Amino acid sequence: MTGPRFQHDGARRLFLRQATALAGLGTAAPFALNLSALGSAAAQTATDYKALVCLFLHGGNDSMNMVLPTDAASWAAYTSVRNQLPESIALLSPGTAPVASATAGSPTRLGGVLPIVPINAQGRSFALHPLMGTLQTLFNDEKRLAIVPNAGPLVMPTTKAQYANSLHPKPAHLFSHNDQANMWQSFQPEGATKGWGGLMADLMAAQNGRAVFTSISTSGNAVWLSGDRVRQYQVSSSGAIRMATSGSTNAVYGQLGVGDALRRIVRSTRGSHPLERDLADINNRSIEAEEILRLAMKDASDPLFGTPNTSPDPKMLYDAPLTGGKAINGLAQQLQTVARMIDASGTAGIQAKRQIFFVSLGGFDTHDNQNRAHADLYARLAHALRYFDATLGAMGLRDSVTTFTASDFGRSFTSNGDGTDHGWGAHHFVMGGAVKGGDLYGRFPVLGMRNANSNSFDSSPDQVGNGALIPGTSVEQIGATLARWFGLSDNETSMVFPGLRNFSERSLGFMR
Amino acid sequence: MEDVLTNKAHALRLGCGARVARITVMTMFAAVLAACGGSGGGGGGSAAEPPESSVPSPSPVAPLDPSPAPAPGPTPERNAAARFLTQASFGPDEASIERVQALGYDGWIDEQFAAPASSHVANWDALTAQLRLANASAWAGQDGVFNSFWRTAVTGDDQLRQRVAFALSEIFVISMQDTFVGNEPRAVAHYLDLLAAHSSGRYRDLLEGVAMHPMMGRYLSALGNRKADTRTGRVPDENFAREVMQLFSIGLYKLELDGTQKLADGKPIETYGPADIAGLARVFTGWSWACPVAPTATNSTCFSTGSVSVNGTSRSDADRSTKPMILYPGMHAPEEKRFLGTVVPADTDGATSLRMALDTLAGHPNVAPFISRQLIQRLVTSNPSPAYVGDVARVFNTTGGDLKAVVKALLLHAEARTPTATGGKVREPLLRMTAYYRAFNATSDGGHWRIGNTDDPASRLGQSVLRSASVFNFYRPGYVQPNSAAADAGLVAPELQILHETSAAGYVNYLRSVVFSGVGVVNGTPYNRADVQADYRAELALADKPEQLVDRLDAKLMHGSMPAALKAEIVAAVASVPIQTHSQAAIDLGKKVRVTSAVLLTLASPEFQVQK
Repeated sequence: MTGPRFQHDGARRLFLRQATALAGLGTAAPFALNLSALGSAAAQTATDYKALVCLFLHGGNDSMNMVLPTDAASWAAYTSVRNQLPESIALLSPGTAPVASATAGSPTRLGGVLPIVPINAQGRSFALHPLMGTLQTLFNDEKRLAIVPNAGPLVMPTTKAQYANSLHPKPAHLFSHNDQANMWQSFQPEGATKGWGGLMADLMAAQNGRAVFTSISTSGNAVWLSGDRVRQYQVSSSGAIRMATSGSTNAVYGQLGVGDALRRIVRSTRGSHPLERDLADINNRSIEAEEILRLAMKDASDPLFGTPNTSPDPKMLYDAPLTGGKAINGLAQQLQTVARMIDASGTAGIQAKRQIFFVSLGGFDTHDNQNRAHADLYARLAHALRYFDATLGAMGLRDSVTTFTASDFGRSFTSNGDGTDHGWGAHHFVMGGAVKGGDLYGRFPVLGMRNANSNSFDSSPDQVGNGALIPGTSVEQIGATLARWFGLSDNETSMVFPGLRNFSERSLGFMR
Repeated sequence: MEDVLTNKAHALRLGCGARVARITVMTMFAAVLAACGGSGGGGGGSAAEPPESSVPSPSPVAPLDPSPAPAPGPTPERNAAARFLTQASFGPDEASIERVQALGYDGWIDEQFAAPASSHVANWDALTAQLRLANASAWAGQDGVFNSFWRTAVTGDDQLRQRVAFALSEIFVISMQDTFVGNEPRAVAHYLDLLAAHSSGRYRDLLEGVAMHPMMGRYLSALGNRKADTRTGRVPDENFAREVMQLFSIGLYKLELDGTQKLADGKPIETYGPADIAGLARVFTGWSWACPVAPTATNSTCFSTGSVSVNGTSRSDADRSTKPMILYPGMHAPEEKRFLGTVVPADTDGATSLRMALDTLAGHPNVAPFISRQLIQRLVTSNPSPAYVGDVARVFNTTGGDLKAVVKALLLHAEARTPTATGGKVREPLLRMTAYYRAFNATSDGGHWRIGNTDDPASRLGQSVLRSASVFNFYRPGYVQPNSAAADAGLVAPELQILHETSAAGYVNYLRSVVFSGVGVVNGTPYNRADVQADYRAELALADKPEQLVDRLDAKLMHGSMPAALKAEIVAAVASVPIQTHSQAAIDLGKKVRVTSAVLLTLASPEFQVQK
């Protein structure tokens, strides 16, 4: 009989395993790695609470319609390139009044883009998508939203000339969805098993009472959450799901004997197949975690996160631009679940000091129908982020939680008639009370005019075929900046982000 | 366009929307199953060598050694036949086990591919017709696709064809999570029929059928894709061109015949680059809806919307969602098209360009290992050896991509027929349920298998047919579960990608209800119960003999592979259920609790959930 492979909970045991694992590495392990990992596991007991939330925009977000340079040259290029038949995907200039009778989701219906005023505007002017009014406020007035322009996976800084050189190291499988989504999360293409969130969590998990609640997803399996030892725990928007029973006992079909047998059967395997052990392991984690969360997590309708006795909860409703009505925002529900988990982090059963979360919104692969798709997605994104900011404010935890966006890739500058194709660099948001908001961190790229006879952009040092952006900032620089805030030492940061050595700026400076 | 549903719980319904007051059709499943046993095999016994496929073969690469001729061998013993059917069908039932024993594996495969194909469109239409008895504007909707899947998977006589079609639906992915595709469920049923029809044909024809189907056109936005406008800078949509290479034909890296990567200087070699995508994207311009008025070089009437104005009246082809896309010459790129070493000269017409492109893709040496390996993963094992992949890929090439021969080769291969310590795969949630329904001869009171959407991982299966999150399927063939026993053993585990703590609990809770009460829309009098019900009569007769009961479940659900320790657990649990004797109703309930407990515990066990 093979026992389950479940994660042993408790800081002390994790520390012992960590120490054992490192000892096993022997002299092959770099000295720094030994020192810093042990240091983390041993003494650094944080007194505060911090959480990182990765908000993944599945499909490759066309951030060129999310953050827009509005200076004359940029705007002329943008309008010229993106206004194509049959359906222009060029948004309208700031101040353009919306036309209520126009097609839902169309630029005319949405009205002009919303100006933002970065503290250091790099000599240009900028705006957000017309449905991001809440984020405009967060950026301009409340200064809890920062923008990292033109970021993406990079092996090392890459110029346009270097991009054209096949010998210059570049990430594998640029422009491929699954590979770049993995690359963003783990610096490896599909098949990766360790992400940078999980590797950070490895170093911090010893500060948590129960390792299982270190790395948490509300939207399925994500490699970003997995480390050498830390594994993700999945929790649904309905909270943790209790297996097999719902009453005061574990009885199934009214029979305790059956319920007890079920709990034994699902949590271990009598065979030896590795896949059986993995399934048993998942079942075991499911049952153990639910028993704790059942007591620790407040209801979604608690006034801290929701609205008592009201269904659907008005806090979860966004203004759906395509229908003109209200609709339930699944992303807000995921963030509500995160807020509930954060609220429960201090309870006796959990005792977490450092947590990482993964939430996601899908539908960004806008090869066609981009206007309508984007309008709805951005309305949800803006509503959900505002909800989360407000909820954390009510919880008094704004300074303790930092949320950042990620996506497969940015998209082409060119239009294929009503949509865009796969690209590389993209603009991203970082939100939180510890964020130095209201500014851009990294040079905003040049958006140029297309060549007269090709889909190249000789007018821009940042754009390649179809106007896709070569990132100016590496994902590893974003990660490292967050890691230092999260509490990793400089050495530890270097371990998690080995590519950082190829970049001169180790911190982008967007965290306080 | 992909559309990942982020909040599945709220997109769910318990079953279909409308209720049906009276049942007009009852399918006699028992009769169907009996007829299955009676159809002619035509081979004269299991040892007979079947006629080879007569598919023309376009001078394939000559094999170095002959593809391993699988020995037909003696009549499979019962558990071996059941294990085979776990791979080759939606699960063994008594009739299919007997049929495999009668014909042998080889003969059974031939008979299966010769059997008439079920029709998902017909099932969808039948449900719509029934719903319209009560409501003239009702339609089967997406539920009609799910229900037809269950109906066909559980009761269809063309098990192997449908099982392969399901596998193909996880390679050549379209998804009703996409708004456009989701609004055309009948056409999605048609797409599944197309996959089933091509599952016994040539890969090249399958690829063309997929590429031209308007639902694929909608899903990957090739439908309505326009040629470049060099004056304004509009470019063709690259979506289909990219994914047809990455996912449907050749993959990212150059492969050896055995599926391992070719290396140059120790590094894998990419099969294509951005220029190939841009070149191929030009081929997939100018294709759109079938139209009542034939398009010309200057008239592209139906191109955008599928409609044309005739004498002031808007007209469209009523079957445009199921007819192959047609070419609109005025919208097709006239420029030279270069990809994968092929050059289509400037001003080549669209049909010729398409033929050259599909020939290039289908003729690429990667196709055989790339597709063979994935079919093995879908039917048999997540981690086939290179030798196994190579043997099947060789058959792929020598038969000119005859999928019937490929499927036969992968099922008859020694590595499929002999269990190994780490072989096999996690049963994906849909296949766990089909195995259960078939093992217990489940029937649908209303005949339409109205189980509905099973997306929600928290309360259902976390999976509905043709509703994956993206074109990358529910899970990836190369998925490795982090920090897992499988990863430690160097194994990929694709199906684990959609399993987690929520889905684990949701699955058991769903089972608890389905196994005891049945599942689906509640039909009215005389049924007054959930539409789909298992038949436990034989098991109820064993309710007071727990060992025999569990042995029977072992044979039906796990082809005799249940470990003794698991049997002992279940036997003890069954024996712990008292059978009160104060009334017949109490006796019946006690027996039912015993049987359903035994079934639930078996289906919930990790041992059942891994197909070995």
